[in-house]
Amino acid sequence: MLFTEVRGLPVVPPDGAGPLGAVTSLTVDVASGSVSHLRWRGGRFGRESALAWDAVRSVGPGAVRVGSAAAGDSAPPHHDLLGRRILTDTGTGLGTVLDVAFDTRTARLLALFTTRGELPPDRLLGLGDYALVVWAG
Amino acid sequence: MNELMTARSLTTRPVVTLGGDAVAQVKDTVCDAAAARITGFTLTGRGLLSGPLQEGLPWSAVHALGHDAVMIRDRRGLVAAAAMTAHRQNLRSRLLGSRVVTEAGAEIGTVLDVVVEGGTGGRVVGFRVAANRRFVPGRARHRRRVYVPRGATLTVTGRALVLAEEAVGHVADDLPGFTALVAGVPGRWRGSPP
Repeated sequence: MLFTEVRGLPVVPPDGAGPLGAVTSLTVDVASGSVSHLRWRGGRFGRESALAWDAVRSVGPGAVRVGSAAAGDSAPPHHDLLGRRILTDTGTGLGTVLDVAFDTRTARLLALFTTRGELPPDRLLGLGDYALVVWAG
Repeated sequence: MNELMTARSLTTRPVVTLGGDAVAQVKDTVCDAAAARITGFTLTGRGLLSGPLQEGLPWSAVHALGHDAVMIRDRRGLVAAAAMTAHRQNLRSRLLGSRVVTEAGAEIGTVLDVVVEGGTGGRVVGFRVAANRRFVPGRARHRRRVYVPRGATLTVTGRALVLAEEAVGHVADDLPGFTALVAGVPGRWRGSPP
């Protein structure tokens, strides 16, 4: 599934109540190459909260079903991958991230789609406030 | 051969850790006494109103000098800027504007910019020179900006750089031409062909 497809999906609690809010973004752990947290916001002016990926039961169709909506206590600093500038470890720019494909069951990233073509996830090196750093191919 | 870049173009280039965080941007380049290699950079903060930083970046902490960023391993590589520039001076005060002459005493011009090699080497490979009228003949108001290779030997005496005679045998008009010249493709012969 793509990050842009997950963004905006309603977050549905297990007891069949109404949706808690909508997905705003996904936090990626670059070291393991997988999605670590899901961030969602309740309502237009609601506070954004993070939820560990282990608490997500299923993704799609049309909703993200979560086990418990208890806010994660230790969410890592969030840097959105979409639109992020890409630099190689030699300091050359490689465009920006357009979209990311990931496996919804294992949470592993499958591929990054950038303005300069596709990147395999095993080339990721670091993600910070300025750029996503990848190994030079 | 790594990409060549001018030292002036390095100013305002961001300093980014391998973790993707920008910690500073380059203010000026510091080179050693013989103008052979880069020994580090002085830094300013990233914000619009942030002034020069107390910390400098020594070349040993640089992972790679790239086209879009200076990559460092982590923030711990930064050292106090005063310690780094104690004996060496930054390019702006030391090299820019100094005279370039050959060993035989021929006047070549004044240094406008310093050409360095990117990647991990940090070598100084040449100079952009506002050439003397006798060195590059032409019309009186012709802009005589040429790239001169550093050559193997160079001595710095005060505000003058003394180049070996064979270093100025070939010059280039632009940076791509200079890249080819340094890589071994001889450019246009200065003056009449031999």
